[in-house]
Parts: sequence; C-alpha cells; structure tokens
Amino acid sequence: MDNFSNSAQSSSATVIARGVKVEGEFVSQGDVVIEGEVNGRVSTSGLLTIGTEAKLKAEITADDAVVAGTIEGMVTVKKRLELKATAKIIGDLTCETATVEAGAVVHGKCSIGQGKPTKEGKAQVMPNEKPGA
Amino acid sequence: MRRDSYAFIYDDFLSDRKYERVLSELDARLASLDLNGRTARLAMFRNAKDLAESLVSQGVTTMVMVGNDQTLDKVMWFLPDMDVTLGYLPVAEPSRIARILGIPNGPEAADVLAARLIETVDVGRLDDRYFLSEVAMEHTLAAVDVEGRYRISPARGGSVFIRNLGSMAESGEASADCKDGLLEVIIRPEAESSGGFFKKVKQPETRIFIEKGEIVASQPVEAKVDSHVMNGMRFKLGIVPNKLKIVTGRRRQLAPISEGLPAAAKSANLPFTTGRTEKSGTGGGIGIRTSLRG
Repeated sequence: MDNFSNSAQSSSATVIARGVKVEGEFVSQGDVVIEGEVNGRVSTSGLLTIGTEAKLKAEITADDAVVAGTIEGMVTVKKRLELKATAKIIGDLTCETATVEAGAVVHGKCSIGQGKPTKEGKAQVMPNEKPGA
Repeated sequence: MRRDSYAFIYDDFLSDRKYERVLSELDARLASLDLNGRTARLAMFRNAKDLAESLVSQGVTTMVMVGNDQTLDKVMWFLPDMDVTLGYLPVAEPSRIARILGIPNGPEAADVLAARLIETVDVGRLDDRYFLSEVAMEHTLAAVDVEGRYRISPARGGSVFIRNLGSMAESGEASADCKDGLLEVIIRPEAESSGGFFKKVKQPETRIFIEKGEIVASQPVEAKVDSHVMNGMRFKLGIVPNKLKIVTGRRRQLAPISEGLPAAAKSANLPFTTGRTEKSGTGGGIGIRTSLRG
C-alpha cells in the first residue's frame, strides 16, 4: 500500500483550493494541498501535494511532495518526491528519493539522493527507488 | 458572592403591536421564573452605550437584550468591554445567532436565561469595533493579508468570510470555534459554469485560521459585520480571546460539531465543554485547515 499517495487525501490537510491565489511566504507545519495559484514561497514540514491545475511561481520546501501541477522555481524536498505524469517543474530540484511517472517534465538541475561527498566535493547520487515504480 | 442583577433592554421595533402577544407571554414566563430587573428600551436617538453604562453603574450584572440578532448587534460594539454577562431573548427574526447560541425564539428563551449556562467566548475585531459572528464580503476580489507575510484572495472573484462564531450565511450551524482564539477565514471562489444551461459548478472552499490580519481591496468593498454593513478598502482584523460572557442554551453550537465536541454530548444534546481543535500552525500562531465542498 502506498501510504505516500494516500496521505495526500488526508482530510486535515490545508488546502489552497482552485480559484484561490496566495502571494507571499506561505509557511505551514502540516500537510498542504495546493490546487490554486501561489506566487512567492511555500514551506511545510509535512506533505505538500500540488494538484494538476495548480500553478506555482514559488520556491518550494517540503518534507515530502507529490507534484501533478506546474512549478516555476526551486524545489527542495527533504525526503520523498513523487512526480506525476502531468507534473512540470521549471527549476532546480533536490530530494532524497524520487518517483517519476512517464510524461513528467523537469527543466533544471536534479539532485536526487544524499550520497557521500566525493573528492571533487560533489554529491554522489544513490537512488533507492526504481524510476516509475 | 454578589447576587445577579438583571436589566432587560427591549429593542425599539418591539413597540409594534404585532409583538404585544409574544412580549406578554415572555414577561409572564420571566415572572414565573422569578427573573426580574430593570427594563429599558432602545430608541433611535438614545445612545445604547450610555444606557448600558448607566445600568451597570446601578449594579446590573446581566444585560439581557430582547429583540433579534440586530438588537444584539446594537450593543456588541461596546458591551465586551463592560463587566457584565450578556443575555439574549430572541422574539423575532433574524435569530441565527440565537440558534447558534442554543436559545429558542420566543418565551422559551426565558428558560435558557434562568439556567444561566454561561460561556466565555472570543470576539472578533474589525478596525475598532467588536463583532460576535462574522464579517462577510460577497462577489469581491478583496484579499486577506496575514501579518504582512502573505495575501490570500479569490483569484477571479468570490466570497470571503471571516468568522468567529458559526455561520450567518448558511444553515446557522456552527462552522467556526469561538473559543479557540482564532478567526476562521473562508474563501469561496465564484462558481464556474459547467457549460450546461445555468449550471454552475460549486467550487471547493479554502479555510485558514488567523489571529490577526487585514482585509485589503483595490476598490471599496461592502463588509457585512454581524448585522450591520461597513464600507472601505482596508479593515484591520483581530481576535480578542475570552472577552465576552454570554448566557447560552444546552443546544449551543460554539464549535464545529464534527471536530470539537464529544460524540456523547452531541447525541444526547447535553451540556459540554468545547474541546480545542487541532490546527496546523503556519507560524506566528496561525493555523490552517480547509474543507472541500461541492
């Protein structure tokens, strides 16, 4: 059972619904579902779910994230990122693990996995998920 | 322990003959319950605040408003600052706030007053005025600025509600918790046409919780505050926790039924203490929760 996907449906999540616009620094400590528009910054210590119709021009920080909409900005996910087929990210992406569905678009640098620093000082990518799983 | 001293303030509209019977029955009920005190009547050129201050100086400890929700509104802007308990005897419509407080319309309201089930509730502030229930702005592009950190608004117009107690716009069932120290901001975008004849798709609503903020608009907006209307482009919002002592009925709905109340109390309709609902914080004492409707 995929708890990651199911938790996105949590009834206690904060929802920025379709037709609602947020501008500025939106910081939450729980799960957040965004179906509307955000310009600025989004930060949550919970699961961030970006719906298919969501449009974000924002810097994103979350513990976990499921993305099905469009993000223009840097995305930093501390743990697990799931990119749905409709996801479009224009910006750099950093996460611990990632699941990417066929059709997802990323324009930017991807850094997946903590990895140990190499001699050159670059992170070593150690994916622990099969792509598309 | 001081003895409760009542004052009954009747709204001006009750001088209409059509209210004679209900007032007669109410007075009889109050007398049978040994609830008596000074009586006064609001009038067009009589300052409600001066009247209330005069009664308090005479030792009144419970100010009972007789009328409807608009009567309550006439004293709400100053009464929370007074050392009195507010009672409410609704005898006419609109009485949505009465229903949320669990007070029946008519002579039966006297029984609620006699039971003296007193709750201490939060009151909202819009600029320098208190409000008990909600601020409603419909068909607006106004935004709510949350402590200068972010602004949230309907992208293409909609309704914005800032609630402390229940819901004036809907069924009357409580959807805000007036004992949590937070205002509930609800944003409901305009319904979109689904393409069919006159068929509109109801949009999900966004709900956030704030301690303070500001309503900002680029054009003057009409804000319905409890039972009166204010116009402007900027309004400061705030909440004053535990500000007002008010007599409530056993059927009061001071918090959303599905969240704060024990199941046993709901089914038995027994007196209960509203529990604090868990709200995810967003920093600066702000919590957010949203429900999807429609």
